[in-house]
Amino acid sequence: MVVKVKNVVKRYDEKIALDHFNMEVREGEILGLLGPNGCGKTTAINCILSLLKFDKGEVQVFGRKMTPNSYDMKRQIGLVPQEVSVFENLTVKENIDYFCGLYIDDKNTRKKYAEEAIEFVGLKDYVKFYPKKLSGGLKRRLNIACGIVHKPKLIFLDEPTVAVDAQSRNFILEGIKKLNQEGSTIIYTTHYLEEAEMLCSRIVIMDNGKDIASGTIEELKAMITTSEKIVIRFINIEDEVINAMYRIPHVIDIERNGEDFIIKFENGINNLSNLLNFIAEHNLTYIKLYSQLPTLNDVFLELTGKELRD
Amino acid sequence: MTVFKYFLKIALKNKWIIIMYISIFFVMTLLNSTDAMKREETFVETRLNIGIIDKSNSELSSSLKDYLKQKNNIVDSREDEEYIKEQIFLEIADAVIIIPEDFDKRVINKEEAVLIYKDDRKPESIQIENQINKYLAFANITYANGQFTLDDVKEALNEGTEVRVLSNKGESENSRISTWFRYYYNFTGYVILAVYIAIIGIVMSDFRDEKIDNRRKISSKRFLEFNREIYLGQLTLATAVTSIFIIASILLMGRYFGDIYYTKYLVNLIVFSFSILCLTFLINNITRNKQIITTLSTVISLGTSFISGVMVPQELLGEKVLLVAKFFPVYYFVKINDAVINSLSEVRFELFMQVLFAVAFLLLGLMFSKKAQRA
Repeated sequence: MVVKVKNVVKRYDEKIALDHFNMEVREGEILGLLGPNGCGKTTAINCILSLLKFDKGEVQVFGRKMTPNSYDMKRQIGLVPQEVSVFENLTVKENIDYFCGLYIDDKNTRKKYAEEAIEFVGLKDYVKFYPKKLSGGLKRRLNIACGIVHKPKLIFLDEPTVAVDAQSRNFILEGIKKLNQEGSTIIYTTHYLEEAEMLCSRIVIMDNGKDIASGTIEELKAMITTSEKIVIRFINIEDEVINAMYRIPHVIDIERNGEDFIIKFENGINNLSNLLNFIAEHNLTYIKLYSQLPTLNDVFLELTGKELRD
Repeated sequence: MTVFKYFLKIALKNKWIIIMYISIFFVMTLLNSTDAMKREETFVETRLNIGIIDKSNSELSSSLKDYLKQKNNIVDSREDEEYIKEQIFLEIADAVIIIPEDFDKRVINKEEAVLIYKDDRKPESIQIENQINKYLAFANITYANGQFTLDDVKEALNEGTEVRVLSNKGESENSRISTWFRYYYNFTGYVILAVYIAIIGIVMSDFRDEKIDNRRKISSKRFLEFNREIYLGQLTLATAVTSIFIIASILLMGRYFGDIYYTKYLVNLIVFSFSILCLTFLINNITRNKQIITTLSTVISLGTSFISGVMVPQELLGEKVLLVAKFFPVYYFVKINDAVINSLSEVRFELFMQVLFAVAFLLLGLMFSKKAQRA
């Protein structure tokens, strides 16, 4: 286990930021820490990295207790903070070289690593630029370069795609996959479901400072009762027919979303053919029909009673 | 030494602040030193326009009037305070003297014998005061057996002392050189205060930025090693800035080093620079807000320099102002520059006070630093 967080409690006066929070990160995986804004994701990272003192619990990194003086362990760790954290008075190259210098003393190695990091984030044409001259997306790339330049084994990426354009976002996500393929273990916090689904091998869902569920995407989806959703738009349908639809096997709920109906099924087979038989029996006409597997949002909704997108 | 290297790099990115202050300094020094070099140091007695109102009409008062008439032009006046003040204001009279009825008694009792209306801002006021004091002092000496020997007074006042000036060129030249160094080094103190607080403060606020500092905290760079490089950077920058002023003084007036006690200025500047570096350490541990730092740089440098006698000589400042100034190292720095000494031991108290301030700033800075770490 690369990271083990056990029952961590962190209070800010009366407010509980982390409430007996647990998390395990395995070597070589991309672990997504998923939760709405303000749920405690950054606090959790700061506690793991000893940037914050916590009130209770235990944190182990690389099998050892993490403290502010664990310098040998810190050599293996990289952090890409949520906010762009670079010197405005230094150029792209100087910033990367400075942050690399906090880990690596040898000048030649530092130069080599800095060049590789610049190449990796695609900032070769901007090395002499000052951060204020960079776009939001390019600043984010610089922020990432400063966090990974020393080639850490364990990388914390705290919402690295917030407020970036689609092009930079894809570039960043591809880069993270590449880092993982090169052997780095990654902890990725986000409130974007699509990113978590696309990128992460395992996910920890957080809400109000608690870990409410964890596992692979399939494992998380298996935790909820809804196993399939069918979206359909009818042409003229009466309320009694809608009520009759509850008699279709495995239907657990029917929601109306504008002109569409979302019919939720619990685990079962032939859900779509059962619905089509019902339509034929009642001579119903429809103009749209598709089947959906549950998303992480459904998982979050069912576990917390609220939408993650909120 | 990455931290050290980038400390200096960021400092140099703010080089315009240093250049601006140094340019202002040299312009101010040039103006002040030119003024100082031209300042009058000789005094020649001239005939003044004075009014005399004699209410005593005694032999002594007549004798005083005769003596004053010899040396000055007499203008008409009358015993009306408003009228007299107007005469002084309009420069019709340089001074008006009122001799009271009990003049003789006052002279005998060594009390204030006459009332003089004059403009204290003018050197003429000193001249007339000197003439009257001189006369009264002599008159007082001749008083015996209930009367003044006025002939002796006249004789004594007419007696001249032959002074043969062999050469005063070297002496006045020396005085001018000392004045130049005094002004130069006093203003150096002001610029050092402003530049240290502004530049080191701005660079430190970058390094102490919470987001950037968090990156340092999770790095494998040891805290002590990081601080060592930061303080080495501060010391290097401070040494470089102070050296500019020392070198400039050598280039400008190095040829006169033999005529003055230069060690005084050099040692004083080094001790003062250290004290201000410690003050910067304290400020950087209190705030990392760039705006506050630049404001403090201006307020502290200008404020303390003014009340401590950098811009206006300490002799011309009020007692209360100087009392406040004593709570800042600039006061002791200026005091040493202004002092005429032959050995550093003569200003050991002022040097000690500057070191004491340095220690106090350091201890306070450490206290705030610990407090911030605990937060």
